[in-house]
Amino acid sequence: MNIIEIFRNYNARLRLVTYLLLVMLMVLSGGLAYRQLFKYSEYSEKGERQSLRRIIVPGPRGNIYDRDGRLLVGNRPRYSADVFLNELRPEFRAEFKKLRDYYDTIPEDQVPKTGDINIEARRNVVQRYINQVGKILGRSLEINSKDIERHFGQQLLLRFPLINDMDPEEYALLLEQIPVQSPIQIFASNARYYPYGSLAAHTLGWAGNTQEMDTENLPGDKLMTFQERGYEGKSGIEKQFDEELQGESGLEIWVVDPSGFQFEPKVTNTPIQGKDLQITLDSELQDIAEMALGDQKGAAIALDTKRGDILVMASKPDYDLNDLSPYMSNAVAKDINDRGAWINLAFQGLYSPGSTFKIVTSLAGLRNGFIDGETMSHCSGSYTVGSRNFRCWNRLGHGDVTLHESIKHSCNVYFYQHGQDIGVNYISAEARRFHLDQPTGVELPFEATKMIVPSREWKRETRNQAWYPGDTANFSIGQGDLRVTPLQMACFTAAFARKETEFKPTIIYDPYRQAIPSKRDIKASDTDYNLILDGMEAAAIDGTAKLIKVPGVRIAAKTGTAQVQTPDGMRHLAWSICFAPIEDPEIAIAVMIDGQFGDSLGGGSTSVPIAQPILQRFFEKMGHVASR
Amino acid sequence: MSKERNQRLRPLIALGLVLFTWILIPTFFKKVTEDFFYEFQAPSWIGGTLVRNVQKFWTGRMESKKSLIEEGRDLARLNATLQYQIQQQDSLAAQVDRYEELFNLPSLPTYQAEVGRIARRDTNGWWQEITIHKGRNFEIPKGAPVVYSGGVVGKVRKVNMTTSIIDLITSPNIRLAAVFEGDKRPVLYQGSISTPFTPPKGTVQNVPTDIQISKGHPRRLITSGLGGVFPEGLTIGWVQTLEASSDGLFQSGEVILSDELNTIREVAILRTLESDG
Repeated sequence: MNIIEIFRNYNARLRLVTYLLLVMLMVLSGGLAYRQLFKYSEYSEKGERQSLRRIIVPGPRGNIYDRDGRLLVGNRPRYSADVFLNELRPEFRAEFKKLRDYYDTIPEDQVPKTGDINIEARRNVVQRYINQVGKILGRSLEINSKDIERHFGQQLLLRFPLINDMDPEEYALLLEQIPVQSPIQIFASNARYYPYGSLAAHTLGWAGNTQEMDTENLPGDKLMTFQERGYEGKSGIEKQFDEELQGESGLEIWVVDPSGFQFEPKVTNTPIQGKDLQITLDSELQDIAEMALGDQKGAAIALDTKRGDILVMASKPDYDLNDLSPYMSNAVAKDINDRGAWINLAFQGLYSPGSTFKIVTSLAGLRNGFIDGETMSHCSGSYTVGSRNFRCWNRLGHGDVTLHESIKHSCNVYFYQHGQDIGVNYISAEARRFHLDQPTGVELPFEATKMIVPSREWKRETRNQAWYPGDTANFSIGQGDLRVTPLQMACFTAAFARKETEFKPTIIYDPYRQAIPSKRDIKASDTDYNLILDGMEAAAIDGTAKLIKVPGVRIAAKTGTAQVQTPDGMRHLAWSICFAPIEDPEIAIAVMIDGQFGDSLGGGSTSVPIAQPILQRFFEKMGHVASR
Repeated sequence: MSKERNQRLRPLIALGLVLFTWILIPTFFKKVTEDFFYEFQAPSWIGGTLVRNVQKFWTGRMESKKSLIEEGRDLARLNATLQYQIQQQDSLAAQVDRYEELFNLPSLPTYQAEVGRIARRDTNGWWQEITIHKGRNFEIPKGAPVVYSGGVVGKVRKVNMTTSIIDLITSPNIRLAAVFEGDKRPVLYQGSISTPFTPPKGTVQNVPTDIQISKGHPRRLITSGLGGVFPEGLTIGWVQTLEASSDGLFQSGEVILSDELNTIREVAILRTLESDG
């Protein structure tokens, strides 16, 4: 008898039950198959979301080197003593029990809520560990309950810091005196480090903490994610090249228990350091420039006229970049604010260029036939335009002067007089031809954009006023409404040295960068160009810029002292521009000092002594001049 | 039949009962029992070393007079050198004292060495420790640094009545603040258990990236003196290569320790003396 026949002989009710069982089994199997085959990914994802947690660990930033390979910005170890709260759970429980037993002995109305006892227990346990650390380090350390609770709520999988940013001696003490098996772990992470402190502070910029890390290519983007703080550039090169310097984040994916504590690691990817950057600054020249600037407010820029490299970009007042790493305290921020030290005066400060602008006025006059080498003026110490008397800086007057002498001695009267002949239109056009109305486009953030090259139209549009001859007199000696940055004046000097009208500076160093091909688009005859050049050389030999001398090097220089009338009184701006060697220019420098009220500054006496050591050291390094 | 089966199960039941009882015994009693057992064993280890000493003595007696005279001469030379070094040491110590007084500096910690003979050596995959003859009877302090003529040996982990257990620097439980000779920045040294028939070793971590080791010129890793346990300048081992971490922040490498660690017979336990300054 086979099984079918046995089944047929069953009682009808028994057969019914069997059919029912079969149908139910089929439903169950179907359901199981449906969930296994069709709903698998959905359930799997839900499961992962519940049981997996992701920790993003930011990659260290790349280093920044100067043109000679000296480290300007790096990463220093940042030592901390941390605990994983996960490992303290048995102690939390024991402490909670102890506290509850204690509260059982006091009147009920004085007993805190269970949640509060829990918080107290956690605090007590963590404080015990902090005390252990404090005892070794000889410090009194306190833990805040709110910090622990915040950590529990938002960063449970991350380490809880007991003490941050220890110095190497403290790190060493804890290494030897905290047992290896202790829940206290000694970690070494990183913080930005600036070996030269405040050197080129504005140009290098600083990096501050951020939670915004690039996690696009990291797996587990749907998982609950905890993120350690990284750094992002806030100013200078750190900001401009943030993408390159930023390291690749690493990650850890942890299997967690139902309470959210770590159970075991599933994926671990170590972070990768960001790309290194080499910039054009010469840290030795930069240091010399900053030393020469001292406590004065101002800026100094030196450019490699052949390749466009920025060799020096100094701005004072400045700040020690290490004070901003790993974070900026309120006191530091206030101090920098109070001193007005955030601004990079080299390309964010807008100033009247004073007599250094006379080179532009001279070119406008020569190119358009208003003046030549024979054109004379008589300087008696002042010149009257309309009803207003304009003074030369030399109250006694320069006597009869040609263009050569007026550049050499920076005679204002010559330019007051012939500036009227040339006219605002030509001077303004010449300044625009040298791109003084535009930012230089240097690869640094926040370059000033509101420079002013005044013209009749500009004055009408902005002030609804007519242009007066007195405006032209002021404009022709680089005062009045004219506003440029020291970097623009350095670029102008480099462009003039190359017989060009535009000079594009760069801060990124390329050892294979070729010399920029000469365009020679200055559109001035050699005679006219040499007239100005001879005046500038004479200024450097025994004129207003005579302090610039570097033995054996032919230098072209021009000084300027602008006066700025403010509601608080008169301030002086001391300028100097120069390039050398005249026969084949290699370096161009612009220096500007923004004086305080009551200071008596002069381009030749204040600004030139700052440019001189830069020039001197540059040629010593080049081997043109013997080292002192 | 069932009686025979019961008899066979009896030892297993007894073992189960013993284990169960052990679990129920309070920790205090367990600790006392463990210590008692240890103290009970100690004389047998000490006896073993005494036998070895006697054996060595008689081996020496077997040597010819000529070789004994030669060895005696060598020892005399060595003694003379050591005497000279002690004098130099005293002169340097006096100089340090003068400077401390002159510049009003706090006194450096001074140590007193307590020499102890090794009674037992436990170096395997589980333990990396040695036992010495001296314990509470010689006021050996727990956590004290242990050294020998070649450098660091380890740290006292446990002090018994007449013996002390020392964690060797090959033990992963040992962590030191070390420095590379000629550099001042502390790095982390930690022991790591070595496989059989390989030299004892450890690892060095958190090494700044500018510390370079050229091929064939290993660098000496020494104690930093910053950690407050070990005095400055004791040899830990030699590092032959360093490998940069992917995050570019630090380097790490293997530290080759001296083979002598497996054969030394005597060590010195350093007791910190109260500073008089």
